Amino acid sequence: MQAREARQSAEALFNQNRSPFGAFSLGSETHHAVTIPDAVRRCRWIAVDLNASGFGLFFVSPSMERARLVPCFDSDYPGVSVSSKFMSGSNGEDMVRHARVSTSPRWWADGGAPGPEATFRDLLWTERTAPMVPGSSGIAFPVHAERGQCGLVVFLGDEMALSQEAVYETHARCYALFRAVARIRPGEAGRTGIISKRELECLKLAANGHTSEDIARLLKLSVHTANQYLTQTTQKLNAVNRTQAVAKALRLGLIE
Amino acid sequence: MMDSGNKNEMTNSAAPAFSDNAAHTRLTCRGDLTAFLMQLSAAIGGDSYMLLALVHDQTRLNARIVASNWIFDAIELVGQRLIATLAQDPLNTAPGTRPRPLVAAQAPQTGGLVSGEEAKMLSVLGHAELYSLRLNVGRQRLFLLFSAAEPGSLDATALAWAQMQCCYALSQIPELLAEASMQDPLSDRERECLFWVSEGKTTDETALILGVSSNTVNGYITHAIQKLSASNRAMAIATAIRSGII
Repeated sequence: MQAREARQSAEALFNQNRSPFGAFSLGSETHHAVTIPDAVRRCRWIAVDLNASGFGLFFVSPSMERARLVPCFDSDYPGVSVSSKFMSGSNGEDMVRHARVSTSPRWWADGGAPGPEATFRDLLWTERTAPMVPGSSGIAFPVHAERGQCGLVVFLGDEMALSQEAVYETHARCYALFRAVARIRPGEAGRTGIISKRELECLKLAANGHTSEDIARLLKLSVHTANQYLTQTTQKLNAVNRTQAVAKALRLGLIE
Repeated sequence: MMDSGNKNEMTNSAAPAFSDNAAHTRLTCRGDLTAFLMQLSAAIGGDSYMLLALVHDQTRLNARIVASNWIFDAIELVGQRLIATLAQDPLNTAPGTRPRPLVAAQAPQTGGLVSGEEAKMLSVLGHAELYSLRLNVGRQRLFLLFSAAEPGSLDATALAWAQMQCCYALSQIPELLAEASMQDPLSDRERECLFWVSEGKTTDETALILGVSSNTVNGYITHAIQKLSASNRAMAIATAIRSGII
């Protein structure tokens, strides 16, 4: 029921020929701030197109030490579905390793019904994998955003329909969705104070390997001022030292 | 004369069925990659392709060509710098966005990095219409330039599909790409150390985490700095993050 409503509102919103890049590729992703509920809605449209009964978006931790999927949202939003709990457990570890090095979608069919396997079996470029959720069928699309962010968009259901062209289209839409989510992911970005232009210049030079003395000379500041700028940035980014500040600024996309 | 407004309008029926006759869906060697890219380029109506990676050299980004059928003279004339610019152009196409041409004879430049003169040169060399696609192969980033001598011959919908196919195809040959782009020269241990340093840990803390002595940690980091041709820790971290190593 909910899915149909979402669909109708989507069609009303984008009253035009359906774009092959999904309903939200009209430059919207760069111009409009997206919220998590928006993202859930977008993901639901994709799920409706695939006739999937469940979906979920996960982040892959940038740390090599942690090999678990971190749930961002799923079809039970604002709750967390049982499937997500399975996937963020040890079942997801293999998928984490996969998403870090490959973009190929992976599917599994463990529902007992012959339908899903028949749908997925003939798809090119996809691989079969062990079920992420026991007794289910589904397909997982690895996605990546700027600054090395990595994630997974999963669709579940025993009656999914997916053609070869739909694989490309769905995956492309998942990419657009993930980029939008990665940009608004609650946490670090929202909490950082406003960093001034001058502070960013200093940070950029620090990232390029310049010492405080170099920075002072290049920006025509005193060494003390250059250091002060960097200390302020470090504090604003909630980092413990200059190196971490550089790392955080790069990961947040504050500097290139 | 083609109207640029018309050109942007997309129809679903435009996607050619190149997936049906895709002979190369299993890539194992360099030859497969070339054959795959040739086939794909032809399927979307293009004349030339160039697959490249961007590698950091001190503070500049350089293009490292992985595979291409551009004529040698064109690469020489266009130059490494412009090729790297084409890849980084803000108009390039990320997966899931509508492909936009970087160089198109009719359309005026809107915010791209390519100057009118450079566009003219590319046009003379047989790249009158040129698209730059961003590819994600796992966390590795590559760029694919598709171009045609005759403006308007490339199909945007087919390009979007081709972009995903390339991501899939390249996922099958990670070792070939790693060799070509040399993105990750670090050992596992060096990468681990660098990661913890980027999290703000001191040498002593990193030593405690990894269960080795702090001298060893310093050694790893020094090696990593040398391998990344950086001048200090902050720069090594920046280079590693930019190229997706950590």
